[in-house]
Formats: sequence, C-alpha cells, structure tokens
Amino acid sequence: MAKPLLERQVSLIEHMTSAAAIFGGAGGSAPDLEGIDRALLRVEARFSYAKRMEKITAVLPKTFELLGGSRDAHVRAFVESCPPTTLSRLENACQFHRYLVSCWTRQAPDPPYIGDVAALEIAWAKVDADPEHHSSDRATRADRAPGSGVRRCPHVILLRCAYDIRPIFEAPLPTLPRMRGRVGEGAAPVKRDAPLVVALPPDADGPQVFEVAPALFDLLAALDDWTDPQGLDVDPAFAKLIADLVGRGLVEVRR
Amino acid sequence: MGGQRPAVGIGFRAAIADWTRENLDHFDALEITVDHCLAGSRSLRAAIFDLVGRIPLTAHGVGLSLGTDAPLDLAYLDEVAEVVERLRAPAYSEHLAFTRVPGRETAALMPLPKTEAVAESIIAKVRTVQLRVPFPFLLENITYVFEWPDSKMSDAEFLNLICRETGAGLLLDVENVYLNATNHGFDPHAFIDALRPGLVKEVHMAGGVTIRDESLAKPLLADSHSHPVPDAALDLLEYTLARHTPSVIILERDDRLEAGDEILDDIARIRARVAAARSRNTYGEALVGAAG
Repeated sequence: MAKPLLERQVSLIEHMTSAAAIFGGAGGSAPDLEGIDRALLRVEARFSYAKRMEKITAVLPKTFELLGGSRDAHVRAFVESCPPTTLSRLENACQFHRYLVSCWTRQAPDPPYIGDVAALEIAWAKVDADPEHHSSDRATRADRAPGSGVRRCPHVILLRCAYDIRPIFEAPLPTLPRMRGRVGEGAAPVKRDAPLVVALPPDADGPQVFEVAPALFDLLAALDDWTDPQGLDVDPAFAKLIADLVGRGLVEVRR
Repeated sequence: MGGQRPAVGIGFRAAIADWTRENLDHFDALEITVDHCLAGSRSLRAAIFDLVGRIPLTAHGVGLSLGTDAPLDLAYLDEVAEVVERLRAPAYSEHLAFTRVPGRETAALMPLPKTEAVAESIIAKVRTVQLRVPFPFLLENITYVFEWPDSKMSDAEFLNLICRETGAGLLLDVENVYLNATNHGFDPHAFIDALRPGLVKEVHMAGGVTIRDESLAKPLLADSHSHPVPDAALDLLEYTLARHTPSVIILERDDRLEAGDEILDDIARIRARVAAARSRNTYGEALVGAAG
C-alpha cells in the first residue's frame, strides 16, 4: 500500500535539497522514491539549488566575492547544514549569513572585514524589503501611540563596524547601495570604529547608509522605544539635531 | 484584458523594470508575480504598483504550493486577494504542483501523482482558494522531469477533471506542453485537443535549454526561461489558438534578461503566430459560413 502523499512529498523534497542529490556522492537514499529516476531528480535538485544560490548571491554579492577560494566549501557546508525553508530571497540570504556568522565564531573571518561587509549587505536588503516602511504608515503608527516622545525609526538598522568598508563599494557613503564596483578596485578597508546607520530617508528611492559620530550612534541605539524627549523644546541645538534625524528618516517624533 | 484578443505581454521582472517601462508600448499586458508584491523589496513593490492603470496586469502566484498534502496557508491567500484587487487583475493563477512540505521548501515546481484521490484533494483546495480569493482562479500546467509511478491519468485528464469540478480555468503553458511531450514522449497536439473547449484562459510561452548529462538516458529539455521561444513551441501555440481563445499570452523570461532584443523579437514572433491563427480561423469560419 502506498504511503500517505505528504510522507512521500517530504521524502522527495528532503532528497532534492540534500547535498548528495545536488553535489553527487554517497547518501540521499530515499526508499519512498522507488520508481523515480534518480538522475532526473538530480537535474531538478541542481536547478532548485542554483535558483536558491542566485537569490543569496543577489543579496550578498560582495560577501561572495570576498569568500574567494573558500566559497565552494562554504556553500557545500551551508547546503548540508541549512536546507531551504522558504522561497524568500531575503530569508535565504539571512540563513546563509547566519551560517557564516556561526563559522566565524569558530574560525576567524578571512578577510577580517568580511563580517562587516556581509552585515551591511544584509542590513541594506532588510531595510529595502520592509513592506511596512512607507512614510504614510510611519505617520499612522506614530499618531496612534499615546503621549509624546522620540524614538529611532523601527526599520533603521545600526551597524558598529570594525572596519571602514567603504573601499569595498564603488561609491562613497551614503550612495553605497549601488554596489557595482568589484572587490579590490579600491584601497583595502582600514581597521577603525565605523558606526553605520542603514535607513530609508523620506522620498529616497531606496535605503541609504550613513556613517555617524559614535555619540550619535549611541543616542540612536538608546532610542529603541518611545522616549520622553526632555529638552526637545527647550534646547534649540538638540531640537535641531532631532529635526535633522527626522529628515534623514532615522528617528520619529510624537508631540 | 480589453482591446485586441489575445493581449500579448511579458512577465514583469525586477531586473528589467526600467527597460520594461521604456518599452511598455510593445506590450498589451504585463504579468505580475503576486509574491513579489508580498515579499519583494520596497523598490520592486513601488515599481509594480506604479504600473496599475498604465497597462492591464495579470496576477500569477508561485508561493501557494497547492499540491502539498497539508492545509493551505489561508493568511497567504488573504494577502494574495488584496494584491490581486490592488493590481485590478482579472484573474489569479497558480501552478498545479507543490514546492514545499512543512519546514522545507524547494524552488522547483514538483508534479503530483495523477490519481483520482489526489485530484479530489486538489479540487477541495481549489474551492478554498476560490472562496478566499474572489477572482477567477486559473491552474497552470507545469513541466516535470519525473513522473510518480502511481500516476494513472494523463496530464489532460487530470487537468480536465479538476477544472470541470471547480470551474477553474487553465493557464496553459505551451512551452511546458512542448517540453513534457518531448521529454516524456507523448503527442502535444493530442494534449491540446483533449482540453475542454473554453478551458484555456491565459497562455505562457518561454524558451529553455537542452541538458546533456552522461547520467541521463537522453538529452532533457529544461524550462529555464532563458532563451528565445523555439519554433516548435510557436507551432504549438498556433495550433492551440486554432482551438482555444485565451485572453492573454505572456512571455516568461527569467534569465539572460539583458537580451532585450530577444524578448522583443519573441513578442513579435508570438504576435505573428496570433495573426496567422486569426487569419486561419477567420478563413475557416468564412468557409464554414459559405458551406452553410
């Protein structure tokens, strides 16, 4: 008697997403799939794998370039340990990023600034993908909340980089997201504290990346939730700073 | 789709969004992947919704996994309904396939065993989709590299049964029929002939590649959406148009998108086949009229 369809579908997809089916070699036997040509399944598995890696590479182009000679080994280890759980481009890229981060806890990243590059590429994609990040939505959310206050815009991402990774990208911040240059065309990243903010300024075509002063970075980090803006109305300099941050889409104010 | 039938257009892709806007006058309609509206980047969503009202849009899904033997994701369907309404699309289409099981998803569209039991399960699910997404629902035939050994029905029998019981229409992927017929050795014309009259509401066209691998018994045609539509698929389109009256024909292209000239050339070749079929149909109707 045939097994329930779901059980057979699970066997099929587990086989199709296995390293054995994608890269060949031992393993990947699936008795529920008797009667199905494994060579044909391998073709399908490789197609599916190629589509997944295209999505990941599209989000992490510089990271993949920087992986260099270790790229194939990383990709294979990733496939073995992290089967696809969604079709989402961003989710698959985040999955690969989490895999890399876990690797870098055991082995120092090479080159040492690749972690900063990967984090920035992921942050940029997350800000760009946020479906609720529209100015009208932001205004509605702010209007609904009771009382007055100031907070960091919910979709702003703060990155404390250990390297100045601007040379990795063709254009200076904040037009960095174009990211068309090739690794190695500019000077090597210099090790220094680089507090970056990825945000979507009002009326901007896409996310932008700002390097900010460490003190401002700490202020933005502290504004995780609505905060009573003491001095906002009495200190003109602070009020001007907040207005500037609002204009750049970094904080929102509720009066 | 209003105006000349069938409308001819392409599937909207983010990578050629600017090019598509610049060449909008080459197309009568664009197909939008609803999942791009749900999970695409902010810029992609903006580019898509900016097209509403500028050109007729159709709505196509890739994320439902209708064939998974598990309950449908109703929240996903509710989101799809909102997108289809916002796009002002006349219908919503999805694949007769599965792409995931709980906890794991593959980008490939996998076939189902073509049995009456599976058809019954799909019929129930299509009814759920129709309740949840209040627009005409179309099923698309997929290309498949393998068959489940317990399949008992032909592709056309399986599709006819599900569509007859649910009232769903068919998004006929002519390229998929051509590939399946070549890879699995059946007559594509017989497949087209076996489809119920009036069933085909929309058509997909595409061009793929041939895979030659020593592990394969013979070369395999793959639906890569990367190359010009083969003449054999255009012949099959013309054959289809002599028997069915879709409202729109969409060219799917997902790779080598920089070859814009190839895309426009494919559109012109499809239009030529539409004109040829129309001319033949008109001639045929005139002959029938004269005989009567």
